[in-house]
Amino acid sequence: MATVAEPSADLGLGPNIASANRQLPAVASYEQVNDDIIGTLRPTKAWFAGLSVAILCLLIGAAAWMWQIYMGLGVAGYTPPVMWGVYIVTFVFWVGIGHAGTLISAILYLFRAGFRTTIYRCAEAMTVFAVMTAGLFPILHLGRPWKFFYLIPYPNWRLIWPQFKSPLVWDVFAILTYLTVSTTFLYIGLIPDLAAMRDRETHPVRKRLYSVLSLGWRNSDREWRHFARAYLFLAAFSTPLVLSVHSVVSFDFAMSLVPGWHATLFAPYFVAGAIFSGIGMVFTIIIPLRRWFGLKHYVTINHLDAAAKLCLFTSLVVGTAYLTEFFIGWYGGSEVEHSFWYTRVFGQWWWAAWIMLICNCVLPLTLFSQKLRRHTTWLFILSIFINLGMWFERFVIFEPSLSHEFEPWQWTAYAPTYIDWAILLGSFGWFSMWFLLFIKNLPVVAIAEVKEIVPPRLTTTHPPFGVPEPSPDRVDVEGMHPEYLPETPGERD
Amino acid sequence: MSENPAQSGVRRREFLKILGAGTATTAAIGCSSDRVEKLIPYLTQPDETVPGVSNYYASTCRECSAGCGVLLETRDGRTFKLEGNPDHPLNRGALCARGQAAVQGLYNPDRYRGPMIRRNGKLEPATWDQALQLLSQRLGELQSRGQAGSAVFLNRHESGSFPAFLDRWLAAFGMPAHLSVDPLADHAVLEANHQSYGVAWPSLSFSAARLIVSFGADFLETWGASVPQQLDFADARAKLEGAPRFVYVGPRRSLTGCNADQWIACKPGSELAIVNAIRGTGSIEQAAQASGVSAAVLQALADEIRAAKPSLLLAGGSGANGTELALAVNALNQQLGNVGTTVLPSQPITSFEGITPAAEVAAAIERMRSGEVQLLMVRGLNPAFMMPAAARVAEAIAKVPFKVSFSSYPDETSELCDLILPDHHPIESWGDAQPIPNVLSMQQPGMDPVYDTRQTADVLLQLAKGSPKAAAQFTAPNYMRWLIANHPGGTDAFTASLQKGIGSGTVERPAARRAPVTVAKPATPIDQTTGDFYLVVYPSPILGDGSGANKPWLQELPDPVTKICWQSWIEVNQKTAQRLGIDSGDVLRLETPQGAVEAPAYVYMGIQADTVAMAFGRGHTAYGRYAQNVGVNPGALLPVGFDPRSGGFVWTATKVKLTKVGTFTPLVTTEGSARQHGRGIAQAVSVDELGKLGTEQEEHEEMPGDASHAYLPGLRSPLASDATGEIGSSVKRKEKGMYAPDHWSQMAQRRWAMTIDLARCTGCSACVTACYAENNIPTVGAPYQEVHTAFLHGVPGGNILKGREMNWIRLERYWEGGEDGGDFEARFVPMLCQQCGNAPCEPVCPVYATYHAPDGLNVQVYNRCVGTRYCSNNCPYKVRYFNWFGYGEPARPQYAWPERMSWQLNPDVTVRGKGVMEKCTFCVQRIREAEHRAKMENRPVRPDEFTTACAQACPSKAIVFGDAADEQWSVARMAQDRRAYHVFHEMLNTFPAVVYLKKVNHPAPAAPAGA
Repeated sequence: MATVAEPSADLGLGPNIASANRQLPAVASYEQVNDDIIGTLRPTKAWFAGLSVAILCLLIGAAAWMWQIYMGLGVAGYTPPVMWGVYIVTFVFWVGIGHAGTLISAILYLFRAGFRTTIYRCAEAMTVFAVMTAGLFPILHLGRPWKFFYLIPYPNWRLIWPQFKSPLVWDVFAILTYLTVSTTFLYIGLIPDLAAMRDRETHPVRKRLYSVLSLGWRNSDREWRHFARAYLFLAAFSTPLVLSVHSVVSFDFAMSLVPGWHATLFAPYFVAGAIFSGIGMVFTIIIPLRRWFGLKHYVTINHLDAAAKLCLFTSLVVGTAYLTEFFIGWYGGSEVEHSFWYTRVFGQWWWAAWIMLICNCVLPLTLFSQKLRRHTTWLFILSIFINLGMWFERFVIFEPSLSHEFEPWQWTAYAPTYIDWAILLGSFGWFSMWFLLFIKNLPVVAIAEVKEIVPPRLTTTHPPFGVPEPSPDRVDVEGMHPEYLPETPGERD
Repeated sequence: MSENPAQSGVRRREFLKILGAGTATTAAIGCSSDRVEKLIPYLTQPDETVPGVSNYYASTCRECSAGCGVLLETRDGRTFKLEGNPDHPLNRGALCARGQAAVQGLYNPDRYRGPMIRRNGKLEPATWDQALQLLSQRLGELQSRGQAGSAVFLNRHESGSFPAFLDRWLAAFGMPAHLSVDPLADHAVLEANHQSYGVAWPSLSFSAARLIVSFGADFLETWGASVPQQLDFADARAKLEGAPRFVYVGPRRSLTGCNADQWIACKPGSELAIVNAIRGTGSIEQAAQASGVSAAVLQALADEIRAAKPSLLLAGGSGANGTELALAVNALNQQLGNVGTTVLPSQPITSFEGITPAAEVAAAIERMRSGEVQLLMVRGLNPAFMMPAAARVAEAIAKVPFKVSFSSYPDETSELCDLILPDHHPIESWGDAQPIPNVLSMQQPGMDPVYDTRQTADVLLQLAKGSPKAAAQFTAPNYMRWLIANHPGGTDAFTASLQKGIGSGTVERPAARRAPVTVAKPATPIDQTTGDFYLVVYPSPILGDGSGANKPWLQELPDPVTKICWQSWIEVNQKTAQRLGIDSGDVLRLETPQGAVEAPAYVYMGIQADTVAMAFGRGHTAYGRYAQNVGVNPGALLPVGFDPRSGGFVWTATKVKLTKVGTFTPLVTTEGSARQHGRGIAQAVSVDELGKLGTEQEEHEEMPGDASHAYLPGLRSPLASDATGEIGSSVKRKEKGMYAPDHWSQMAQRRWAMTIDLARCTGCSACVTACYAENNIPTVGAPYQEVHTAFLHGVPGGNILKGREMNWIRLERYWEGGEDGGDFEARFVPMLCQQCGNAPCEPVCPVYATYHAPDGLNVQVYNRCVGTRYCSNNCPYKVRYFNWFGYGEPARPQYAWPERMSWQLNPDVTVRGKGVMEKCTFCVQRIREAEHRAKMENRPVRPDEFTTACAQACPSKAIVFGDAADEQWSVARMAQDRRAYHVFHEMLNTFPAVVYLKKVNHPAPAAPAGA
């Protein structure tokens, strides 16, 4: 929704400004926050069109899956001994995407990184939907998906439990835990916003729904105190999960003896990659969103700039991991590792490896330039490359390793079929469908948290001494105002 | 009186009972995904039949003319597996891949269901009465017109009683003797043997020789009786230091050539010059010029042959001078004193007596073309396929007014015939064979006929009743009675012989026809103008003369040398390929004045630079779903020409023009990389270094919980002892392991293991087919099983292009050396589940579908498997196979056993559904059967009491299976051989149960100093 502030949303925002108080110069009041953010919830034709496309993609994927269940996994491109194909690549891709959300909402919360405030809701929703998407893939890659529950330790008369030595069982726990915690975290953060929406809602059914969902939030001090504690607790609880979940996912590979997988590097390597890809996806989502929803004065260029620095940092970490991997492959002296590494980078799979290297290591180097960090179009284009590069990173880790193992007689090639691609497309449809439903039903920017950083409601219409009259375009709140009402939530805690 | 309502209704307990039963039933029905089928027990059980227990009927294999003894494993009236008869003098319990696959001929889904009569140009089903009446009537007409003498009966060559029986029957109708055709016979060698020794085929003693030199004789493939030859060759090679060196001379390195220590690549047809030079009737220089081999190499060969005593020289006669070559080699053997030591004419193989030269068959076909032949009868043969296209056989057959086929399959020839009287499959038939003098190999049916077929001999007897003259001669009611009546020793001897499968005595043979052959079209020397490349066409060692092409096991069994299946290919020398810019898979066009074929190239080091080669056997235009339109037939290229002295067809007869078509067809191969990359999978040792082996004491660290068999490094298995509860405890605690240490099965004390002697293994791949037969392994390459994806539509072997073959045991063939175009070495290594003691596949399975059994087996539970395929990822040997489609589910399009192929399935082994992993089980069904049998008989399992299917079939006796923890078993001794090694154990600590024994190479003797 276009606001009066939009034409000069980035006005006065210089780079590298640390002060949280100058974050949202174009946001004047709590009412404006409510208006702007809840105002985005009105469905538009474009949104319906987007949702239809997403559902269509999902249906294509679902049809492909049904065909695969009927015929058998052979309709996908598996070429033994490449027993794990695009599905596992995509699984790790989506789990990785799911990591940025919790990083931004939990870790950066604990670190009091100001730039997270306006993007975290979006990132957190992305996490939940990405994990929901990722969770499908281990099931649809099973030979007998209808028996997936064998992996869950449930009491049964056969007294058979899962094999707890298997990293796949750890995976089940990791993913389910992560899904539960991140969903809870998202929901807890939503409660005050749901209350705000309830208060403005006129439609009786929706009003009732929001009332239920907001758990009867009354905006009392006590509620705020509990809320803040719960939020802090969950943030602290989620923080190790960010590291552990993707470490466990990396154990699927690192615990095996497949050359190229069997490496102690994998856990930090995967976590860094996950955060990198997650931030890439955040850019892909938030840049169009802030434009279409007219939220440029909330998700400001400074926020993007800060996130881009994080992106650059993780890209460098990932690049170091690649180089370490290659170095060990060359230096390690194991013929098997060496031969495999050569195949991966210069042999049969060079194209995939170089897509990965260029997208993940070379292109993000442009973020050293401040100009490009603050260039939203470039950030968007780069984020697409990062998504592609990170998908290929997993492809490069899995397929060349499996196709070039110990036994030369069984070396092979691998090419996905249209079933693989259809299911990959379906996963994007599934993710987009949820995300689109989310952005028109729940606030994409955390209303309550934004209110914390906009100037408090003034008791007087006059600015303090020496401060110029605020213009509608520019609210300078740099100086602390002595006369604000102590209503800001959590202010006194 | 009113009833108590509480009593009139259903009582609470009853209600609960019904509810319980009802729920259970509903649940049980609901759980089953298949429809309910009824098992109907015998009303009166046949004496010999116990449900679930196999009967073995001794019989004779009829897949080639050698006549090996087989045991037909039959259960509940269905024969499902052929095993070699251990008492048979010819094959000593071994059986080749083609023999194994006979059951797929028996249950072939494309067999004729019953007799067919051509009406209005179409073959239509008929009753036997109608069919016999028609033939009877035709025979009558023929006799009354006095044209019976013009009839031609083409019969697949076999030894035993039938040929003489057939000739007598033909004579009774006034028809000439039949033509006994063996498409694989080497007529030149047969003729030369007759001239030199007076027998068709002397026994060959490889183990007596110190040097074997083969001039194109592929004795491990189709040259002679391959199984006995292979047995003896393997025995010879197993003598290690005392083993013969083997040199192969020929334009193409065949499977036999790949087993040689040295390959001398010569130009096609120049073998004779080389032999003459060695004999001293020609000069080395001339030979060098003719063959393209350097004089030094030939001189060294000549010196070696003269020095080695005794030696064994063999000739293969596929060229125009084949008979001369074979005679020259026979003479050389004589000269070197080998006759009587390594060549044994006193112990001939009689299976090959009485084969009609190909030229006579061609002459008969010419008579058909000219319209002289009024009646053609064909049994067991497919001349329309096996003769080259230039012979225009189909056209000639079409000129015959009445054609009768006894074929059981809709092949190219029977499609031309007017009357089909489908013969029984040999497994349904009575008969006998005479493989060696005074020994009869008995043939008896293992089961009732699958379809409405009749044994040809019975049909002939039936027909004889219609002719008064014949009826007097043939009084037997059926052929079995006739056999009994004519069996040496009579009924009692017959019954006794049937029990063993072997009888003694000699049966009547058709009158010998040793008249010199008249060859209408003698082969001319190879015309140098028709192209740049010599064409070598060789019969496929797997498909034989093409009759194996309708058996999916054989189609899917990779060619032992090129590892290509479900496809035809053109072998091109690697340097030539480099020069012409050809890569493996580039489609090439071969052209001769006779015709052209297109097939993908296979770049091969083992072929002469100016030669291309193609295997014969594929390219059928009929012959059922597995054979039709799979591959191409190189027969289209060949000119018709016969060796003037033997009347044999000349296979190496032309030069071809080779052009690149410009398209690419991926090779349907099971080969990944043909090089070992130094990973020590197939290891070899030179015979000179053999003495050094085992002198260094291997050091190995103590593992916690090492199993008791510590004498065997790789077989110490920490996990095996874990399963018995030994790990972490000095006291054996029953409750810690799954089985008590004193469990009756002795499971906790065993370690099932296998040794594979690579000095014996020839790469023939019989073990692979045996495994398919025993373990219900689906074939996946048939065109109808193709995945319908955008890129691979309708390609035979499409699933194999994607590496999805299911061979639990596979034959890997690695090349060593030869990168520079010089001589190279082939190493064959059968790779199967290594049943690791410390198996990488086990801990990664999230659902315990694979786990370790106390007896050392790495067990796969199909019911539990959800198909994560992690086990396969983690298996360094890559021996786990996944069911990508419902190969085992009848309702699926990829079903591997279309009716009635499913009758072959081994009832002891689960047929796997889609989505589960499978792998070699060490034939666990055989292990458990032996354990249970021992338990029933209240005794321990005897050492070497049973073995796995692969070990049983192996015609090299390279595989030994047993309990390595018990020194009474052979495997325990074998595993301590100085040549023993494990694959990948040092690198990965897997503790495999498969012990390989290094191959032994025999390099050329060093030239004496100053020579």
